[in-house]
Amino acid sequence: MGEEKDLLSALLLELRRGTLTISVLSQLKEPKYGYALVQSMEEKGVAIDPNTLYPLLRRLESQGLLESKWETSSTKPRKYYQRTEYGTEIYKQLKTYWKNLSAGMERLLREEEV
Amino acid sequence: MTLNEKDYMDRYIYQVIRRLPKAQRDEVRMELEELISDMYADKGSMEEVLTQLGNPAEFAKQYQNGQQYLIGSEYFETYLWFVKIVLICAAVPILVISLVNAIGEMPAASWNAASVIIRAIVDGLTAGITDALLSCISAFGAVTLIFAVMERKKIQLEMKKAEKWSVEKLSEDRKTAESRWTPKFLEPVPDKKALISRGDSIVGIVFIVVFCVLLIFSPHFFAAIITEDKTVTTVPIFNLEQWGTILPVFILSLLIGLADEVLRLVVGVYCKLVMISNVVCGIIQIVLSAVVLKVLPLWNPNFVTDLERTLGDKANSGAEFLTRWNADMVSNGFLAFIIVITLLEIGVTVYKTFRYGASVKKEMTD
Repeated sequence: MGEEKDLLSALLLELRRGTLTISVLSQLKEPKYGYALVQSMEEKGVAIDPNTLYPLLRRLESQGLLESKWETSSTKPRKYYQRTEYGTEIYKQLKTYWKNLSAGMERLLREEEV
Repeated sequence: MTLNEKDYMDRYIYQVIRRLPKAQRDEVRMELEELISDMYADKGSMEEVLTQLGNPAEFAKQYQNGQQYLIGSEYFETYLWFVKIVLICAAVPILVISLVNAIGEMPAASWNAASVIIRAIVDGLTAGITDALLSCISAFGAVTLIFAVMERKKIQLEMKKAEKWSVEKLSEDRKTAESRWTPKFLEPVPDKKALISRGDSIVGIVFIVVFCVLLIFSPHFFAAIITEDKTVTTVPIFNLEQWGTILPVFILSLLIGLADEVLRLVVGVYCKLVMISNVVCGIIQIVLSAVVLKVLPLWNPNFVTDLERTLGDKANSGAEFLTRWNADMVSNGFLAFIIVITLLEIGVTVYKTFRYGASVKKEMTD
């Protein structure tokens, strides 16, 4: 049983990994800080672990898709992330690709149900 | 947040950032302080927050992108095989020599006393294990260093190749500067006779390592051994007083040979690179051998006189040999031998490279 569970979670992890980038990019048209992003995504039914999100944000920033700014005016310093122009361009292409992919997947899975 | 909870937060953050590159630490610390205090404000319990974040080691792993390794998977199997061979070659001869030495040094009169024999064996083993450990560590280090350098060089080489392709691409059609892989880049499957097998290299490797170990740990082992009335006397052949200057040159020469063997095995097929390495290493080895044999005071200058003194009245039987002992001649003989062997090896490599070698063949058919 344990093995089956490990395998399943490994497969799920792999399945989710690719979707994380596009989900994060979709939420960052306006600047947001990390935990606000965690909460808003959870509310919308796409939960993401903070320990996955924070490293991912850094990676996307180093790839030039996001930019960040430390907001130090309030008592607590916060780092706000936002899509760059380049990030928006990439996001649009990812979105088109995703729509085709999910439509195709939908057809494949429906075939199985009939 | 209580002091205790703050302390736990700091501990957690420390455990994450200590695993990250120095340049990232300060900023990640601030990010994590922000995150954890936000989560704490949301959930109200530090324990719950840190439990949800999970093992800090796993967290840190998420931050690490890009492979960091000394020896990659491509070379790893060859590396393991190499380490095994080298460790065996480094350990076994030392253990054997230590035992032989210990037994040889026993007072002759007490050959029958079991306790003395056991004592000598134990002493020999202790000394042998210490020396063997030392030599194993050095051998391991040397092999690892050679492989690590090759791993880095390989990356540079591949980058250069990619550059070359992109330049060629640029001149062919100026539309894309991007280097794109095409089936043209596939190198032809090497001729079976061009493959370099481990069996080909093993003799060379064993010889190099064993010789290295003996020269480092037991230079006195190369000696004339005379037994007379149950006392054993040895007269070393090498000039042990100058050993400190001679040994490094010897070892350097052997290490260059070892590096060449590693390269052959890693590349695994006769090609331009292997040929160039073989020629260059061969020439360096010949030069270093000439230095050792002709420039440095390699031979024990008192060899003949010591031997004569030890042999004493028996010297007559060896006299014929002793009058023929001439350090210069021996040096020349060895040098000639080394040059012939090295040239032979280079010759075989060059022949096989041009006859069956991978890239050469490709160029000919192009």
